Amino acid sequence: MTAVRQTLLLAQWQFRRQSTFLPLLVVVQVFIAVATVVGYGLLVGDPPPEVALYLATGAPTITLITVGLVMTPQLLAQSKTEGSLDWMRTLPVPRGLFLASDLLVWTVLALPGMVLGVLVGAARFDIELSIAPWLVPATLLVSMTAAAVGYALASVLPPPLANLVTQMLVFVVLLFSPVSYPAERMPTWLQQVHEWAPIEPMAQLVRAGLAQDAFSISGRSLLVLVVWCLVATGAAALALRRRV
Amino acid sequence: MVQDEVLTVRGLRKRYRGRRGVQANDGIDLDVRAGQVVGLLGHNGAGKTTLVNQVVGLVLPDEGTIVLDGIDAVARPGQARARTSIQAQANVPITGLTPRLAIELVGRLRGGERSAVRARAGELIEALDLSPWADTRAEKVSGGIARLTAFAMTVVQPGRLVVLDEPTNDVDPVRRRLLWQQIRRLADEGAGVLLVTHNVREAERVVDRLAILDHGVVLAADTPAGLTASRQGTLTVELDLLPGATVTWPDGVLARGSSRMREAASVPAEDAAEVVRWAQRQVQQGAIERYSLVPASLEDVYVDLVEAERHDAPAEEVAA
Repeated sequence: MTAVRQTLLLAQWQFRRQSTFLPLLVVVQVFIAVATVVGYGLLVGDPPPEVALYLATGAPTITLITVGLVMTPQLLAQSKTEGSLDWMRTLPVPRGLFLASDLLVWTVLALPGMVLGVLVGAARFDIELSIAPWLVPATLLVSMTAAAVGYALASVLPPPLANLVTQMLVFVVLLFSPVSYPAERMPTWLQQVHEWAPIEPMAQLVRAGLAQDAFSISGRSLLVLVVWCLVATGAAALALRRRV
Repeated sequence: MVQDEVLTVRGLRKRYRGRRGVQANDGIDLDVRAGQVVGLLGHNGAGKTTLVNQVVGLVLPDEGTIVLDGIDAVARPGQARARTSIQAQANVPITGLTPRLAIELVGRLRGGERSAVRARAGELIEALDLSPWADTRAEKVSGGIARLTAFAMTVVQPGRLVVLDEPTNDVDPVRRRLLWQQIRRLADEGAGVLLVTHNVREAERVVDRLAILDHGVVLAADTPAGLTASRQGTLTVELDLLPGATVTWPDGVLARGSSRMREAASVPAEDAAEVVRWAQRQVQQGAIERYSLVPASLEDVYVDLVEAERHDAPAEEVAA
């Protein structure tokens, strides 16, 4: 109970500290989600229904991943630079809760963009979704894994480097990952890389949750994702607990 | 049984690795009791921050023990943090919040109950004269107000041990007095307070004990009176020279240093009257502008101790 209370208080602290930029952040999230759908639509012209469904169900994953993999490490890098992380670490709060509260903040921030991305995609390409009952926990798993990887990244790297790496990751996620198009279009070696990376399973999971009649996720992909989630959360927690 | 010792540090050593490894703490012994304000003096790089970071489990000691309110702080950093509240030297960034909100949130994060925290926050804001700024966004408040806010955040729900690292920095003289009162009150209400400061003159009036830290070791630890005891019966004469003038001190006066147009020396109290007559003559002859006679202060003791250590330092470095 104390842990839940402390997580909510920490989240409130982070939330209020970002309050000036919150509306802007949400706008950016919405923009990314909508831009993915509409922009890719322009790239591929008038897509056939399968491609359109792929695009529309890939967009929310892009939003979730950018928030977790880009926004979270940038916030952590910022709090390292301005000294708030050092101060927070002196508080009598279990180390894992810093991670939990950041995940909470960013997941909540990502939600409007994600929902709007789905709606815009469905409207733009005139497709029908078939939502699975487990979509919400699946979304949480994706969001948590992305944020934990981002957190671990920012914990290990010095702040300027973390910012550079995350910016590069945006391009990897947008262009070189099988999120908005099928994996078969990529060179074989990149396909093999993605078999072990977390991005493809994230996309598959969200896709299967949004259109369960058309897509499914293999047990192997789910396992890869869960392992990434556990390892990244563990690494982030370890980094927070570390004493020099 | 009441746990009287709040903090007991023994033989604490920490060396930072790297190309130019630094022995930040080199065998520190330190005690803080409930109800005491213990001042920790030391110049930049003396090892104060390293000591504090080890107490709250952010830095792992190489050697030595830290017992905090009966808890082994090295083995159980989480429990140590639950018993300590810290105001770090760097200000806590609270942009986006107001001082009152930041104080209340931290109080509740530290386990305080909402209404009690609100009442205590209001009390601190009042006592530190922060009311005009309490509900202003943090980006609009001055450095001194931010510093006082950080202090209030630390003590709104104080631990058994309260560590304050340079709490008076940037604070205006009027509010600094209010701050010292609150620090004294913390100890009177039962906390052990470890006060890290450069501000020897002001700390002197509040602390119960003082430890002087240099090169990672405690050079001396005693009450303010105990530390100045060796210099009781000694006074300090300070002269402001006129341009181009030089002075030759009378016999029995020990020169203690000079800077541009200023000279200082120590005088045995029984010779003081004679030195005053001598100094008055110098004024009349136009050699000095004015003079003053003050009791030996802690600042003098501190400078003496650290300078004595400096003279030994080269030999020590060879040994290392």
